[in-house]
Amino acid sequence: MMTKALIEHIEGEASLYFDTRGDKVTWAEIAFPHFRGMERMLEGRKATDALVLTPRVCGICGHAHLMATVRAIEAAYAEAGHPVELTRKAQSLRELTLVLEMIQNHFKWLYLVILPELEKLGVEGLAPAPLKGAFAAAQATKILALFAGQWPHSSYMIPGGVTCDPTHLERIQAAGLLDELIAFFEKETAGIDLDTLLTFASCREFNPLQSDLGRLEKGLIAAGMHKKGMAYDRFVVLGEHGFTVRARLKHTRPMKADASQVATEAAVCRDETSYARNVRYGKHFYEVGPLARAISADNALIKNMHRRYKDSVYTRVMARVYETALLLQRARKLLEHLELSEPSYIPPVPLERITAAGEGIVEAPRGPLIHRMRLERGIVADYSIITPTQWNLGSSVMSDPAPAQKAMVGAADIAEATFIFRSFDVCSVCTTH
Amino acid sequence: MPSRLYKPTLIWLQGVTCNGNTHSFLNLPYLPQLLERFEVLYHPLLPCTQSLAETAHCKRGCDVLVFEGAFDPEMERAGTTLKQLVGHYAGEAGHVIAAGSCASFGGIFKASAPNRNSGLAFAGEQPDGPLRGRVGKVINLSGCPVHPEWLGYALMSIADGRPVAVDQLGRPTALYRHMAHDGCLRNEYFEWKVDVEQFGRKEGCLFYEHGCRGPLTHASCNRTLWNGVSSKMRVGTPCFGCTEPDFPRRNLFETKTNMSIPEEVPVGVSKRAYLTMTGIAKSFKIKRLEERLIDDD
Ligand code: SF4
Ligand code: SF4
Repeated sequence: MMTKALIEHIEGEASLYFDTRGDKVTWAEIAFPHFRGMERMLEGRKATDALVLTPRVCGICGHAHLMATVRAIEAAYAEAGHPVELTRKAQSLRELTLVLEMIQNHFKWLYLVILPELEKLGVEGLAPAPLKGAFAAAQATKILALFAGQWPHSSYMIPGGVTCDPTHLERIQAAGLLDELIAFFEKETAGIDLDTLLTFASCREFNPLQSDLGRLEKGLIAAGMHKKGMAYDRFVVLGEHGFTVRARLKHTRPMKADASQVATEAAVCRDETSYARNVRYGKHFYEVGPLARAISADNALIKNMHRRYKDSVYTRVMARVYETALLLQRARKLLEHLELSEPSYIPPVPLERITAAGEGIVEAPRGPLIHRMRLERGIVADYSIITPTQWNLGSSVMSDPAPAQKAMVGAADIAEATFIFRSFDVCSVCTTH
Repeated sequence: MPSRLYKPTLIWLQGVTCNGNTHSFLNLPYLPQLLERFEVLYHPLLPCTQSLAETAHCKRGCDVLVFEGAFDPEMERAGTTLKQLVGHYAGEAGHVIAAGSCASFGGIFKASAPNRNSGLAFAGEQPDGPLRGRVGKVINLSGCPVHPEWLGYALMSIADGRPVAVDQLGRPTALYRHMAHDGCLRNEYFEWKVDVEQFGRKEGCLFYEHGCRGPLTHASCNRTLWNGVSSKMRVGTPCFGCTEPDFPRRNLFETKTNMSIPEEVPVGVSKRAYLTMTGIAKSFKIKRLEERLIDDD
């Protein structure tokens, strides 16, 4: 029997259609019903206008879109024989603000989505406090705004660098705010100081923690989530940053990854029109996101979890929350080493001289985000966007399910299956755009 | 003032949107206090008492409807069209807030489907959309996204029972009588017609060559800073005029000029007088404005 469940408290809306035997889920299809036409909107516009429009693909990861756009334009410059020069300062500012956007995403997901939803599965003692997520996220975006002007929807990255010109005043302000955010994380989320948490090498070390993270860890085990929601145990990381490594992984075995192998096709849902697309590497589905990033970066703790509990919901959720800690540390390093004496921006040749194609890849909060564009004399002739959620949340046929579909099959009931679905950090606006 | 014990009910619905207004709202410093003043029946992310499916049944009404995103009459939420949802809840509500430029004027999603999508009461500058002619009831909080403090102001005024005066486009005058230019740290350069030499500099104004719409845009971004700390122009990005009905314009990082004079002059200024003034201001050579402000490297 097909049962429909509406998924909300995500970014936007999704429908899940389940086949069940008894209560057990035997098959699931996913539909994302809303389409907005972002790619077509860009055609015929000057490429720099895309820096303003693409952040509006998504209200929670607009900065990742901004960076993908700027990287795509810069790639087109290089392709046209006019490579763009970036100072270390511009590079680290871009990475710092991207990292801060990821941090706000992970806080919101933990507090506004995961803890309340886990409680709905009957797990006790979680003490969810959604507004903690909003508070911590606002602190992260405040630091971001010191350099990028505002969040959401800033457009401070431009081909050749960044528009801002921060001084030590902003750096010191930012460092103060970041220390406060780290103190919040240590007190409320982790229940232990950041540096100690980052030395953890085994999941056993979570046992004594009296904190939101400790309660989450116990709650996931109590709900049996260490034995549920496995997908393919294949991962891919494509964006290049200081906090992860580009790779394709089978279990934990890394291989080279090459974005030209990435292709999309229409998603399949028999019961509703879905505007989602499936993304594959070569012929296969891969899982993307913080779990993929942690494994490719050879993170000891997450690899220990993976050894014990495979690519279960437990590992996937813990990897995302743990990434918050890794990113907080990364943000601190970036701020400490910010080289303010360099220029922010080195003007490239006029955009009108560029007729070429470019690709920009970024690790967004949910995984690799790819922007591809073709420019004719600086005007967008063609634009296409492949988002992280399309990798994880595709919908395909029974003989060849997408990662989230595969993860949901076998769930004890629909409630459990929808929690498994949420373990991927669902975003419908990104899935469709 | 109505009793503090009475909590107006609030429903937050989404049309064609990126969810940016929802996320902007989460940055409001006094969010917990504000939420205390309302009974939130439905919100897409925050804790609320109803599900979307229950909300889509349109059984009861609410006191305040907040709508985010462009209005597409055919679009469905939990199986109910926006036409039905907005018809029902806006009819019942005492106040309707259009959060963001899409809900106010259609914004970028009007640009993507001009014949179908609109704001609640306007399509661009034209009074169009399902709630046209209801200026006063519909409060337009344009901005892409809405500034959290602007939404905080409107909701707190409603909770306190204070009327919100609006301009011809339905925007609260307390927030939109200012220009985005007002409070910009680059104003001295604006006065003496010194443009920023290139992006990535804190010295110079962005109006003359770099596309800044600050003097043409009704918004208080530089008075009430974004995220409490900054604004686009503070970090050297031009204002894109995101609160105006014609957002998004084209060639956003450039100023259209005529013989190196900006084609459009600040709101309320005569072009001729402006040109004369520019000539005079430019003839001053102010050394202080040609030097770097801070050299602490
Ligand atoms: S940068 Fe824009 S807002 Fe600032 S002074 Fe110049 S014109 Fe005004
Ligand atoms: S400065 Fe201009 S573009 Fe930026 S948020 Fe304000 S009105 Fe919008």
